Amino acid sequence: MTIPPSPRRRRLRTAVRATLAAGVALTLAACSSGSDGTGGGEGDDADHGEISVQLSWIKNAEFIGEYYADDRGYFEEAGFSSVNLVAGPSTGIAELVSGQAFVALSDAVSAGTAIANEDAPVKIIGTTFQKNPFTILSLTDGGDIATADDLVGKRIGVQDSNTALFSALLSANGISPDDVTVVPVQYDASVLTNGEVDGYVAYLTNESIIVEAEGFAVTNLPFADNGLPFVAETFTVTDESIAEDRDKLKDFLVAEIRGWTDALADPAGAVQLSLENYGADLGLDEATEIASAEAQNTLLVVSEETAANGLFTISEELQAQTLESLAGAGLELEAADLFDMSLLAEVYEENPELLDYEG
Amino acid sequence: MSAPTATVPGPDGPTTHDLALLRRRVRREATRDVLRTIGRGLLTFALTVVVVLALWWGVLLVFDVSPYVAKSPADVWDHLVVSPDAAAHRAAVTAPLGITLYHSFVGFCTGLLVALAGAVSFRLWKGAENALMPVAMLLRSVPLIAMAPVIIMIVGRDVAAVAVIGGIVVLFPALVTIAAGLSSASQQMTDVVHVYGGSPWHALRMVALPASLPAFFAAVRISVPGAITGALLAEWLATGDGIGSAINQAIPQVQFSFIWSSVVLVTAVSLVLYNVVQIVENVVLVRTGMRTTTDR
Repeated sequence: MTIPPSPRRRRLRTAVRATLAAGVALTLAACSSGSDGTGGGEGDDADHGEISVQLSWIKNAEFIGEYYADDRGYFEEAGFSSVNLVAGPSTGIAELVSGQAFVALSDAVSAGTAIANEDAPVKIIGTTFQKNPFTILSLTDGGDIATADDLVGKRIGVQDSNTALFSALLSANGISPDDVTVVPVQYDASVLTNGEVDGYVAYLTNESIIVEAEGFAVTNLPFADNGLPFVAETFTVTDESIAEDRDKLKDFLVAEIRGWTDALADPAGAVQLSLENYGADLGLDEATEIASAEAQNTLLVVSEETAANGLFTISEELQAQTLESLAGAGLELEAADLFDMSLLAEVYEENPELLDYEG
Repeated sequence: MSAPTATVPGPDGPTTHDLALLRRRVRREATRDVLRTIGRGLLTFALTVVVVLALWWGVLLVFDVSPYVAKSPADVWDHLVVSPDAAAHRAAVTAPLGITLYHSFVGFCTGLLVALAGAVSFRLWKGAENALMPVAMLLRSVPLIAMAPVIIMIVGRDVAAVAVIGGIVVLFPALVTIAAGLSSASQQMTDVVHVYGGSPWHALRMVALPASLPAFFAAVRISVPGAITGALLAEWLATGDGIGSAINQAIPQVQFSFIWSSVVLVTAVSLVLYNVVQIVENVVLVRTGMRTTTDR
């Protein structure tokens, strides 16, 4: 591997050396450094053990803040012995309620649909993206879907994890599901360029850039401009965690804020992490990943609201917008059913220095 | 067939009356055999249902799964029958189930016909087995999920993909079973056909095919769950409708009651079809004298 050893590894090595000197068996060292979490001397009193975080998508530039938080040891300093970043595509809600994930990076409509229809015991406690970048991506020379009405009669590639989102888009625009052919697809947008589908549920800041870089003229139908402005890449957790693991969640948010602060300062460095480590086997293209990360940093992660109240904030106005999006899709929820922003507020109260992510 | 042995012809040979009695007795025995076979089939089916329900409850208890995710038989009953929205819930499951059954039928027919044609060609041309068996093995050993994109690119995402994917799942076990059945034909009987100048085709039609009936039924029986599996796979990977796709779309939306209900209904349909085939098989084999009710 070409990247320098992570702090976690360095610490592990120190721990092993120390235990060897004390004459204890190596295997014991491995065990204790696993359960011991942060090791000694970090000035950390919490021991949160190991957690899994379900990502909404494959490990590309979308999660550069998480890569920094993991690679630079912020999770470890927050008391987590290890944070397992699990690749999607997934809404993460099923993983949350079945206890496989502690936190899921989800979106407000998927979470809202699960809460409204299935009484899923989950809440959103913060969001990475102030705006959602979902779009129906099409080729200008192909499907050319520029308005919601253009969807009628088209074949649209929808990932299983985005089914609820796509239904919401159709209801919000008064289109019957019978007028559109849904084609099951995975995370590879090549179904669009090889003509299997006319449109593809994508991110403005990701596939749209990738397909354009391959030399195709693209048309976008952004969800946010077509009745569905809502927050995405939300930190979604179970009600049970909020009640029983409040400090653990707050420590997690602290590490995430630190990771994303670094990601905003150096997106190119974070993309390197994703290319060489986290998403090494995905065959990602460096130039488009960097373009993707920069677009995401300037358009989605920060806003006037975050400048005033810190990263991950969801203003009341934004909450109301999200609820209106859901109402347009026929799902009636109150803000308190979907959001619990009290943890983030406490985090910033206890760590005011985190507010200034611009450095 | 358990032929009656008690009636002894009189000294002057059997009278008309004796013959009528004998015929009636044979018919009665045959009917009783058929009824006994059906009864035994139904009993097996009931036992299977009890075992499946017990396993279901037991596994949920042992693994202590969150009740939000894991639904018990009672929850599914409530979802489909008791709850005020039960009719809507049932419709939500039966609509895709109908599509899945149609897809299963397509895959079943494709797979079984190809298997039958393959097994017959093995019998008629010695080289056919050596030429075709490796291909069948290959289709069997490459995971379908890896082949699916290629299949979709070649045949598209409509019912042809269902026929190919379902057919592949059904083909191999059916082919092996039918081929074994055809070669189990008695050599002496085949020789008789040859001695009288019959062609291999005659031998196949008059000896091997009838002799392979038990194997053919076994192939049909194991193909039923295979065809349903194939249909679910094809729906998930290619067509995007039916239960196979609905379940995968329901998971991210945490519609666990729907998921469990779908799984239960698919399993139930599969069990029922399997048992129907088994009962038909037993009846036919008993009636053709290939198996009596007592020799199994």
